[in-house]
Amino acid sequence: MGLEFLARVRRTSTWLGGVIALMAATYVSPMLGLAFAAGALWSLVNLQLLERLVVGITGPARGTADGVRRIGFAAIGMLLLFAAGGVLLMLLSPAALVAGFVLPLAVIVVKAGTQVLLGSRAWRGLVTHRWRAGIAALALATVTWFALGALTNAGGQPAGTPAGTTVSEQQHGAPTEAHGETAAEPEGEAHKEGKSEGFTNIIALVAGAFPHAAWARFLEHYEVLVFSLLVALVLLFVAFRASRDPQLVPSGLQNGVEMVVEALSDFIISILGPKNGPRFVPFLGTLFIYILSMNLFGLIPFMHSPTASLNVTVALALTVFVYVQFIGFKELGPLGWLDHMLGSPRDLTGWLLSPLMLPIHILGELAKPISLSCRLFGNIFGEDMLLVAFATLGVTMLPFKQLPFGVPMHAIFFPLALLGSVLQALVFTVLSSIYILLMLPHEHHDEHGHEGDAQHAH
Amino acid sequence: MDLHAALSLGLPIGIGIAAIGSGIGLGLIGQGAMQAIGRQPEATGKIQLAMIIIAALAEALTIYAFVTMFLLQGKI
Repeated sequence: MGLEFLARVRRTSTWLGGVIALMAATYVSPMLGLAFAAGALWSLVNLQLLERLVVGITGPARGTADGVRRIGFAAIGMLLLFAAGGVLLMLLSPAALVAGFVLPLAVIVVKAGTQVLLGSRAWRGLVTHRWRAGIAALALATVTWFALGALTNAGGQPAGTPAGTTVSEQQHGAPTEAHGETAAEPEGEAHKEGKSEGFTNIIALVAGAFPHAAWARFLEHYEVLVFSLLVALVLLFVAFRASRDPQLVPSGLQNGVEMVVEALSDFIISILGPKNGPRFVPFLGTLFIYILSMNLFGLIPFMHSPTASLNVTVALALTVFVYVQFIGFKELGPLGWLDHMLGSPRDLTGWLLSPLMLPIHILGELAKPISLSCRLFGNIFGEDMLLVAFATLGVTMLPFKQLPFGVPMHAIFFPLALLGSVLQALVFTVLSSIYILLMLPHEHHDEHGHEGDAQHAH
Repeated sequence: MDLHAALSLGLPIGIGIAAIGSGIGLGLIGQGAMQAIGRQPEATGKIQLAMIIIAALAEALTIYAFVTMFLLQGKI
C-alpha cells in the first residue's frame, strides 16, 4: 500500500470518472455529468494534497525548510479546495457531486479488495482449475444477466411481462421509451436526436449543457472546424514531441514518426520521380497524415470525423486545386499554361482541335476538386452512417430484456472503417500527386520511364 | 405520384443502379490487375497503385449517387 498504489488509484479513478461523467452527460443530463466530473476531480485533488501533506510530515524532507514550505503549500491548497467545494455544492447538484467524490474511495476499496482476493487460496484454487473457472464465470454471467434484468425491470415496468407486451408497450410509449432505450447505451453511441443523426460527440454534449450560452451555440455551429483544428493540434503536438530532442539512433515516438515520413517520402517520389518528387513531399505527406487522422478521429468515442462533412473536404480539395494551378503557372509560365489547356497543339490538326480542347480541359480541371471532395466525404460519411446504423441495431435488438447496454454490433465494421480511412487518405494523396504530375513540364526525352508513361496516359 | 413518393422510390433505386455499374467496373479492374500481377509478379507494387487509383475513380460514381441521395434526403 505504498505511493505506487495511490498513483494507480489516481489513474484508474481519472479514467473511470471521465467515462462515467461523459456517459451521465450523454444519457441523463449534461449538468449531472458536469457535477459528477467536478466531484471526482475535487476528490482526486483532495487525495493528492493529502498525500503531499502526509509525505511532507513523515517523509525524508521532514523538518527541513523545504519540507515545511511544502507542508504549508499543501495546507493552503486544502483550504482553497474546501472553499471551492463549498462553491461547487451551491452551484451543482449535491447528489452527483457526492457520487463523484465517493468514486476514488470506491476505487481504493475495490482495488484493495481485489488484492486481498487475488492473493487468497480460494481464488487460486478456482483459477488454476480450468473447469471450475469456466463454471464460475458462467455462474457470474448468469447472475449478472438476471440481476440486471430484475433491476431494470423494477425501475421501468413490472417484472414478468411477456415479451410481446413489452414490445407493444415500447411502441406505444415511443418518444419516452425509445429515448430511454438509446439512453441506456454505454459507449456513447447512437444518440438520435432530431437533426443530428450520429454518435454523440463532446461538443454536442457541451452545447446541450449550456443551451443558451452564445459560445456554446458558436461551438456547435462550427463543430467540424473545432474538431479539425483539434486534429491539427494533436498532430502538431506529436510532431513537436517527436522532433524536440532528435537522437541519432531513434527510438519510441521519433522512430515511428520517422518511419511514417520515410515511407511517405519514398511513395511520393516513386510517383513524381526523383527530380520533382522531393519538392512536393511536405505538402502531399501533410495532406495524407492530416486526412488519415481526421478520418480515424471519428472512431474515438465522443469524437467526430471532420471529413464526414462536405465543408472540410471541399476546403481540402480547393487547396489542392489552387496549388496545382499555381504549380502550373509557376512551372509552365502563363503561355505554357494556356498551351497546356489548349492540349499542346503542335501541328494543324492540333490547332484546329484546340477550341474543342480548351473547354474540355477547363471542365476537367474544375471536375477534379468536385470529385476529390465528394469521394472523401461520401466514403467517410457512409462509414459513419454504417456504424451508427449497426450500433442502433445493437441497442434495439434486445428489447425484451431492457438491458442498460446494447450489443456492440458495429464492432465488426471497425476493421472496414480502418481500411476505408487509410484507403481514402491514400487515394486523395495519390490523385493530388498525379494532378501535380500532369501539370509539370512534359519531358519528351524518356529519362524516367515511369514518368513518361504517366504523361502518355494523359 | 407526388414528389415525396417519387423521391422515396427513386433514391434507393438510383443508388442501386449506380452500384451495379461501379460493381462491374471494380470487378473488371480487379480482374485486370490480378491477371497483370499473375503475369508479372515483379511489378506488383506499380500495378496495385494504379489499381487503387482506378478503383477509386470507379467507386466514386456510386459515392456521387450516395451524396445525391444524401442531399435530396431532406426533401422526402
